[in-house]
Amino acid sequence: MEPPIIYSKAEFIETDTGNKVSRRATIAGPQNIILGGKTIISSGAIIRGDLRRTGPGHAVVISLGRYCLVGEGCVMRPPYKTYRGNFNYYPMKIGDHVHIGANSVVEAATIGNHVEIGKNCVIGKFTIIKDCAKIADNTIVPPNTVIPALALFSGSPGRFVEDLPESTQEMVEAQTKQYYTRFQPSER
Amino acid sequence: MAPSVHYHCPCLSNSTTPPPPHLPSSSYSFHPLHTLFFCEECDAVRCNRCVSVEVSTYYCPNCLFEVPSASVRAEKNRFYLFVHKMPCNVLTRRRCARNCFMCPNCRNTLSVVPSDPPESGDGRLAVPISTVGEPPFFLYCNHCRWDSAEVGITFEKPTGLAAQLQKFEDSAPDSLEFERLKDHFEPFIRASSLSSSTTSHAVAHPSSAAHSHHLHSNSITAAASAALARDIPGVGKYNPLARSTSSRGIGVSGRDRSVNKDEMAEYRSRVEIAKASVVGTGGGDADVEFMRHLENVSEVASLDQRWENSWVTSLQTSDLKPLRIPLHSKRSKRCPACTHILIKPEQKAQSVRYKIKLVAANYLPAITVALPHAQKALTEAAKRTLGKSTSAVEDDKTPATGMVAGKTYPFHLALTNPLYDPIQVRLSPQRLNISTAPSKDGPPEKARRPPFVISLPTSTFPIAAFAEAWEYDDDEDMFGVEEGDDFGIRGGAREKDGRSTRSKTVGVLEKRANVTIVGGEVVIGKEAQGNVKFNTLVSYTYRSDDPAPSESNDGDGPSIPQGNKPPEVKTFAFYTVIDLGPIIPREDSKSVPDV
Repeated sequence: MEPPIIYSKAEFIETDTGNKVSRRATIAGPQNIILGGKTIISSGAIIRGDLRRTGPGHAVVISLGRYCLVGEGCVMRPPYKTYRGNFNYYPMKIGDHVHIGANSVVEAATIGNHVEIGKNCVIGKFTIIKDCAKIADNTIVPPNTVIPALALFSGSPGRFVEDLPESTQEMVEAQTKQYYTRFQPSER
Repeated sequence: MAPSVHYHCPCLSNSTTPPPPHLPSSSYSFHPLHTLFFCEECDAVRCNRCVSVEVSTYYCPNCLFEVPSASVRAEKNRFYLFVHKMPCNVLTRRRCARNCFMCPNCRNTLSVVPSDPPESGDGRLAVPISTVGEPPFFLYCNHCRWDSAEVGITFEKPTGLAAQLQKFEDSAPDSLEFERLKDHFEPFIRASSLSSSTTSHAVAHPSSAAHSHHLHSNSITAAASAALARDIPGVGKYNPLARSTSSRGIGVSGRDRSVNKDEMAEYRSRVEIAKASVVGTGGGDADVEFMRHLENVSEVASLDQRWENSWVTSLQTSDLKPLRIPLHSKRSKRCPACTHILIKPEQKAQSVRYKIKLVAANYLPAITVALPHAQKALTEAAKRTLGKSTSAVEDDKTPATGMVAGKTYPFHLALTNPLYDPIQVRLSPQRLNISTAPSKDGPPEKARRPPFVISLPTSTFPIAAFAEAWEYDDDEDMFGVEEGDDFGIRGGAREKDGRSTRSKTVGVLEKRANVTIVGGEVVIGKEAQGNVKFNTLVSYTYRSDDPAPSESNDGDGPSIPQGNKPPEVKTFAFYTVIDLGPIIPREDSKSVPDV
C-alpha cells in the first residue's frame, strides 16, 4: 500500500548483501565498519570508523546489523573515555532492524535489535539501548544512560514515558523490511 | 495525519455496536490493532483497558537488575500494598535498592564520580593511580551538572551507596512518620484481614493469642497467613500480643470484629503540623521569609522536582536530595472474562520474548487504508525534489492531499490475512445518520443529512492464506501492479448516487499473496465538516481446526452420518473505525492552494 521511496540510482552504491550506501555519505575508515546487509546509509550521514581503539591489529569500530537505516545527516561516532589516564575509543555495536532518524547524533555503546531512534536525537556516549526500545524525535539521551527493553524515551533529558506494546518486535521488523523494499531507485 | 484504521474492543460491554465515530467516547473503545489481544477461549478481542494485569518481574530500569518479588515486598520502605489500603498511596513506591539514583533536578541517572586528584604541582593533572579515583566520591548528573556535594552528600567509597544513604533516608521526617503510621495501623489491618479471611476460625478462637498460636497449625490459617504475609510484609515479625490482646481477649466472639474496628486508637503524628511550618517544611513563615529574599527563580524547586516527595519538603533547590529509581515491571495479562493468560513474558528482565502471546494481529486481518490521490501527490512531490533533502517535501504536501467538501474521492483498503487458511471477508459500513458537525446551527433537515456517503463492495471477497514463502518474492511485484488488473469481483458495488461511481473505484482491486486491496469511495457533501470517519463491521469466515463445541459435547452421534463433510467454518466479526482524515471546508478550498 505504501508508495515507494524513490532515490536516484546514481547516488547509491548497492553491495552484494543488499546494503545501499549513499555516495554523499561520509564513511571514514570503511575497513573498520561492518554492515549486516540490506542496510541503508542515507546521504549526508557521517560514520566515523576511523576512530578506532589504539593498539595493533584489526578493530571493528562500528557494526550495524541487517535492515538498518542511518538517516540523512546522522553522525555515528564511537564513544570515548579516559580510563586510567589513557584516552581511548570503544566500539559501537548496533543490532538488526534499527532505524535512526535524520540528523541524529549517536555515540551509544550498544543498541539492541528492533530499536527506533527518531529525528534530531542526541544519544550520549556509552548509552546502552536494549531491544525494541524507542527514542522519540528530538530526545536528548545523556551519556551512560541505560534504556530498558520495550521502553519509550522522550524529552531532554530523555525520560521513560511508557511501555511499548507486546507486538513491537513484529511491528518494527515488518516496518524496517517494508522500508527496505520501498526504497527503490528511480527508472532513469 | 495519515488515514488510520482502529479496531473495536467491546471491553465486556453488552451492546454489540460500538459508539458512533463522531462521539468522543469512540476513541476510547477503538485501538490500533497491534495493541490488542485475542482470547481464544472466549473468541473475543481484548484490549489493555479490559485485561487484568499482574506483575511477573520487577527490575531496575538503570542497572537492569531483576528484583525478586519477595524482596520487593520485604524492602522496608517499599511498603506498597500496605500503603494501598490507606489514602496516601503515593507515600512510597518500589525503588531500586542498589546503587542507582536519579538527579532530583532533571531526573537523569546519576553517576558516581571521584574528586579531582590532588595537584601535582607542575600545573598538570596527575595521572590517577587507583582505578576508582580519589575520595570523597559524590553523585554527579551528566545532563544538568547537579552534584550531591552541593547538598552535602559525599561518600567514602564508590560502592554500597544505597547503604551509605540509607541512614539519611531513615532519619528523614517522612520515613519516621511512615514508620509510626505503620506501627499504628499494622495491628488493625492484620486483625481485619485475618478475621475476614478465616471468619469461622476467628469466631472459634476469639482471642488473638489463640490466633497466633494456631497460625501455622491448620491449612486454612496457614494459607491465610501466607497470603497476608505476601500482602503485608513484616507482618510475620509482628507480635500481636503486644497491642491487641487486652482489647480482644474480652467481649463476645461474634461481635469481636466490629468492636475492634471501632477501637482504633487516635493517631498522633510525630511532628505537629503547626510547628513544622516554622522550620520551613510546609508553608508558613519560614517559606514566606525565603520567598521574600528570593533573587533567582531557580532557587525554588519546581513542583515537578518536589512532586516525588511524599512529605512537604523545603522549597529550596539547594535542599533536593538524590532520588532512588523506581522499579519497572514486566506484566502478564489475563482475559477479564475467562482469566486465561493472554500475555506471559519470559522471566528474564530484558528479554522481549513471551511464553504466551495471544495478540489480535495473529487472528484478525490487518487493515490499512490509503487515499490514492494523496499518495500520488506525495510521490510526485518526492520525484520533483529528488536529490534534495526530503525534509523540504513535508512542508508543501497538505494542499494536494486534503479532501475538499463537495467532491468524491476513492480510497483503498488493504486487508492482510494472518491465518494459514484462506478467509472470506465481508465489509459492512455502518450507516451514519447524524451529522459529524454537531455544533453547526443549520436547519434541522440539513443537519440530519449525513455529511458524506461511503461506498464499499458489499459482497464477500476472498483473501489468500498467509504463507511464510510470500515474504520472499514480495520484493518484485510489490509496486509493479498499480492499476489495471481487473481480476477482482466487481459485482455488488453499491451505486449510491449514480454519478458517483466510476467503474473501477469500488470493488476488489488487487489480490496478491495474502493481501487483498478493495476500493471504496467517499462522496463528501457540500456542507460537510470534520473528519471522514466511519464505523465498519468486518466479518470473516475461516476454516476452523477444531469442531464446533456443540458437536464435541454431544459426542460423535450426529457427526457420523455426514461422512466427508466440508471442513468446519466459523465466522468472526469485529468493528473498525476508519478515519480518512479531515474535510477541508468549501470556503477554504479556494484559498488553500495559494498558501
